[in-house]
Amino acid sequence: MVEISDVVKHYKNAPRPAVDHLSLAIPKQSVFGLLGPNGAGKTTLISMLCGLFSPSSGKIITNGWDIATEPNKIKQIIGVVPQEIALYPKLTAYENLLFLGHMYGIETEELKKRINENLEILGLIGNKDQQIKNFSGGMKRRINLIAGLLHHPQLLILDEPTVGVDIQSKTAILDYLKRLNSDRGMTIFYTSHHLDEAEDFCTHIAIIDEGKLITKGETKQLIKENNCTTIEEVYLKITGRKFRD
Amino acid sequence: MKKLLYSLYKEYKVLVRDKAAMAIMFVMPMALVFLITVIQDTTFKSVNESSVPLLLVDKDHDTLSFQLERALKSTRSFVIEKKDISTEEVRELISNGDYLIGIIIPENSSKRLREKASARISKLFISDDSVGAEPVDTSALHLTLLFDPITKQSFKMSISSAVDGIVSGVEMQSMVSVLNEQLKDLVPGGGSGFQFDSKPLLTTVQEYATKSETTLIPNSVQHNVPAWTMFAMFFICIPLSGNIIREREDGSAFRLLTMPGSYLYVISGKILLYMIVSMLQFLLMLSVGIYLLPLIGLPPLQVGNNYFTLICIALSAGLAATGFGLLVGTIANSQDQAALFGAVFVVMLAALGGVWIPTFVMPEFMKSISALSPLNWGLEAFYGVFLRGVGLAGILPHVLKLLSFFAVCIGGAYYYQVYRRMR
Repeated sequence: MVEISDVVKHYKNAPRPAVDHLSLAIPKQSVFGLLGPNGAGKTTLISMLCGLFSPSSGKIITNGWDIATEPNKIKQIIGVVPQEIALYPKLTAYENLLFLGHMYGIETEELKKRINENLEILGLIGNKDQQIKNFSGGMKRRINLIAGLLHHPQLLILDEPTVGVDIQSKTAILDYLKRLNSDRGMTIFYTSHHLDEAEDFCTHIAIIDEGKLITKGETKQLIKENNCTTIEEVYLKITGRKFRD
Repeated sequence: MKKLLYSLYKEYKVLVRDKAAMAIMFVMPMALVFLITVIQDTTFKSVNESSVPLLLVDKDHDTLSFQLERALKSTRSFVIEKKDISTEEVRELISNGDYLIGIIIPENSSKRLREKASARISKLFISDDSVGAEPVDTSALHLTLLFDPITKQSFKMSISSAVDGIVSGVEMQSMVSVLNEQLKDLVPGGGSGFQFDSKPLLTTVQEYATKSETTLIPNSVQHNVPAWTMFAMFFICIPLSGNIIREREDGSAFRLLTMPGSYLYVISGKILLYMIVSMLQFLLMLSVGIYLLPLIGLPPLQVGNNYFTLICIALSAGLAATGFGLLVGTIANSQDQAALFGAVFVVMLAALGGVWIPTFVMPEFMKSISALSPLNWGLEAFYGVFLRGVGLAGILPHVLKLLSFFAVCIGGAYYYQVYRRMR
């Protein structure tokens, strides 16, 4: 689905590259977890995958299209769920989703159907006419997720989608994502600091640190290769215990 | 097109639910135009109507004082009060600030003026070696003018000139009447019909140079309504920049940038909405000037007949203001920074542009700086239509400057977003 080849991203005036000669392959229909400490380069990599800016060097090919030359084609098939609650607090849940769906060019009737379906699945249909500012953290996260799914993307990019939510919301979000992956064959690219969650959720995992790829592979194989019992052990073994911020 | 309309609708919903932004854009400018117009009305009246307090001490009670008083009244520039007090008392009242000007006409001034005029004229007709003639003092008489120390030099000069002119007229009339008497004596048979005409040969006609048939006198309303309309339009930079920064801070901008072409629609939606807001502000402020201010005794705003030209000015000013808001929102890193910078900068542009104090009373070097403010371009264009009655051709340079300002702001915002924020 995505081929990342020797990608470097060096911000102007930064002492070192945020992403340093990184190569990765994200298989189609996989749930790919990108793990790493703060400042490892996860958000920079996501920004480049979304076409927000081009790599300083190297190539990112998504579905056969180069992000540097055909960003709009890639933007059509990806869905993005940012770490922040990227919604308008003064609009209702329904108004937010209607606006974002229209920005993807979805026809109104079809869009309304998709919104209601998603709200129903994530248990928010009764709250659709409430302003987002009155929602709890978990409710906001669920609407944030729906906003990235309305146009039925082939690749869903999630930046810490369960941060700060209660266990019920977290379970609802992850269960729905698993369903989308298995039923629709949606490829999921995901970052998180919840390593147990990642271990349970991801089919593949890559760990990066200081912009460099440390290790990658299928989740179970990665644990086995490192003679560990959990991903958390693998993570600490590879990245160490030193603070990064 | 559909995306643009949905974006416009979203911006509209966000804005109407933001009570603070609505107050900044609609209530604040209305309150400002109302208050400042009332406050400045007196200042404008002092330029246009009778309001300068003048104390006249008439110890003469004769032709000179009567004519001087009549002439002062005819200028309609003074509120004249007459008192029979001493010079010291006059000095005291003026130094206390009770009057701006005091004029003291000494006793027997008219009589002495006539004597002096007669003596001077007689000198023309009687030879120097005439014997027995009583010598008369022909030196100048003195009227005393006292000014409040706060009086500006230019105002003092103009009052002195006006009084000098009136006195010269009275003096001339006295001399002409003596001359006529002398001529009668010289011409056999009493010289009936042999009169020297004292009517002036040269007079001035004053009028305002406007391109329309109607003459509109600048007043507080004609100045303040367009001035505060420009201010209100540019003040939308606070809610607009806040809106852009909020979108960036809460990640909405990030999401929109990951959608194909959507951010362009979102930005266009913002420009369109804030253009509509600025047009509404324009109509609201005109309505205040036309309908509300006359209710408190102020003259109604005269907008002239060039409605198309007015709309062109309002549109270009609205675009310039929206572009400025967009630029501030793109460059500023936080809402606090945008609000502070935006507010201070708009206030500075307003001060320079002649919103508070009209540019015609500014010193020359400030006038040249004032011409750099986009608020001044809009204001001058409004003045052109309201006061000078010019059409589109007359205000085109101002409109083009406003449109160029919009283009520069949009270009700057684009450059900063693409080459600074996303690198």
